[in-house]
Amino acid sequence: MIEIKNVTKKYGKVIAVDNISFEVKNGEIVGLLGPNGAGKSTTMNMITGFIEPTEGTIIVNGYDMSKKPKKAKREIGYMPEGVPLYADMTVREFVKFMAEIKRVDKRERNVKVEKVIEQTGLKDVEKKLIKNLSRGYKQRVSMAGALVGEPKVLILDEPTVGLDPKQITEIRSLIKELGKTHTIILSSHILSEVSQICQRVVIINKGKIIAVDTPENLETKVSSKNIVYVTVEDAENKIEKAAKKIKEITNIKFIKENSDNTKQYMLESKNDVDLRKIVFNEFAKENITIFELKKEDATLEDAFMKLIEGGNDNVGNN
Amino acid sequence: MWAIIKKEFKSYFTTPIGYIFIGVFLIAFSVSFYFTVLGYGSVNFEYIYYSMPTILVLAFLIPVLTMRTIAEERKTGTEQLLLTSPLSITKIVLGKFIAALSIVLITELCTLMYFAIICHFGMPHITTAVITFIGFLLFCMSYISFGIFASSITENQIIAGIISIGFFIITWVFPDFNPNLNALSFINMFYNYTQGQIDIADTITFITFTITCILLTIIFLQRRKSIK
Repeated sequence: MIEIKNVTKKYGKVIAVDNISFEVKNGEIVGLLGPNGAGKSTTMNMITGFIEPTEGTIIVNGYDMSKKPKKAKREIGYMPEGVPLYADMTVREFVKFMAEIKRVDKRERNVKVEKVIEQTGLKDVEKKLIKNLSRGYKQRVSMAGALVGEPKVLILDEPTVGLDPKQITEIRSLIKELGKTHTIILSSHILSEVSQICQRVVIINKGKIIAVDTPENLETKVSSKNIVYVTVEDAENKIEKAAKKIKEITNIKFIKENSDNTKQYMLESKNDVDLRKIVFNEFAKENITIFELKKEDATLEDAFMKLIEGGNDNVGNN
Repeated sequence: MWAIIKKEFKSYFTTPIGYIFIGVFLIAFSVSFYFTVLGYGSVNFEYIYYSMPTILVLAFLIPVLTMRTIAEERKTGTEQLLLTSPLSITKIVLGKFIAALSIVLITELCTLMYFAIICHFGMPHITTAVITFIGFLLFCMSYISFGIFASSITENQIIAGIISIGFFIITWVFPDFNPNLNALSFINMFYNYTQGQIDIADTITFITFTITCILLTIIFLQRRKSIK
């Protein structure tokens, strides 16, 4: 659906995007992830044809963006960063204007505008001026502008920035819903968001791709140890001794003492063992009562930090 | 392109700019009307167009009309919506140009009421009036296209406005210092129309100047895509 081949963007001597290549298949939701200034927006601006790459080609649904821009642009609905909108238009006027410049057929225009307004939940505010809307609604108006004209590809640049938690969940579920019928590329620096919505993640740092994989694979790939948190009632302080008996535990650390006289510890082991069962059995033998036993999931956060800090030693490019 | 024309035209009247342009121009026009027609008893409609107050306000009104066209889109980021749509840059620029020109046309139509008043009291020369109308449109067209170009090279509306005002004043005042520059003065070219003659050379100058400015704007926007 979208092919990005050896794309480079230079501003004078500064290289914003450095020879990146990746592919997005039909119906996929792909997340572009990276710290601020990594080149996410530049990449998206190139895919949408807003700026031209210095080198490389971008192909959208078979149309080369530099050779057939009109056809390629028709396949794309773009929600730019910072949601630029015409503040003096009403919501309906704006969506209609977007439909017009996207050359939606005149006879179908009203029907399609109506459909998009319903889909994005803007029916109540359709007659309001955009400048009087809250941030969350503006975001939806921008989304409606991207959606109208039924593009096959949606490019969403930081779609949840500046929203409150309720609005974030709403926008996320809208994106998930849209993902059933569209190919979506979205950028974010919020990792949990990407792991919830996207099927694949492209991690970019300093203009380079450092990993392309599913969120789950990235998590397991980078975690080198397993961590278990255990809360115990242990009046006689037997836990250190008990822990030493379990050879799988590589490290034990006291975290805190709770108000009900229980203590929380962190236990570390190698990546391939699950400590929970062993700990449960062994501690029971030692008369240590377990109140809580919980395995810490390696998060995408860890994966991300590791990849960014690790610089360019590739973790995986598959 | 129709969508752009419609949107631009509407925005002239959702913001005060359209009203300011038409209103202030008509005030200046009325002042001229008072002095030439009522003061001297002249029935020369075309003199009102060429009079000092009319040209003076125009030096400021046309830049006000054009300064936001592209600069504002860039500042607010809405240019991303336009430039990522299937519309070509040429159509976007032309749409904006036509919308601005239509405001001038509306203003000209408003001045017809003065013409009606003159007709009531005397016999103005109709052909000259029509030629003046055409000349004025061509004259404004040149400055509008320059104003749009000025708006495309900066994201600051004020700077775009000042560049256009400066250009207007330079092309107005300079020829007075050096008679050799007379041929370059748009005002002098417009003066020929108010004399009832359509000068081919002048007409071609106005039109080529307009086309050049529009082309420059298009090239500039196109080039920004690769350097931005």
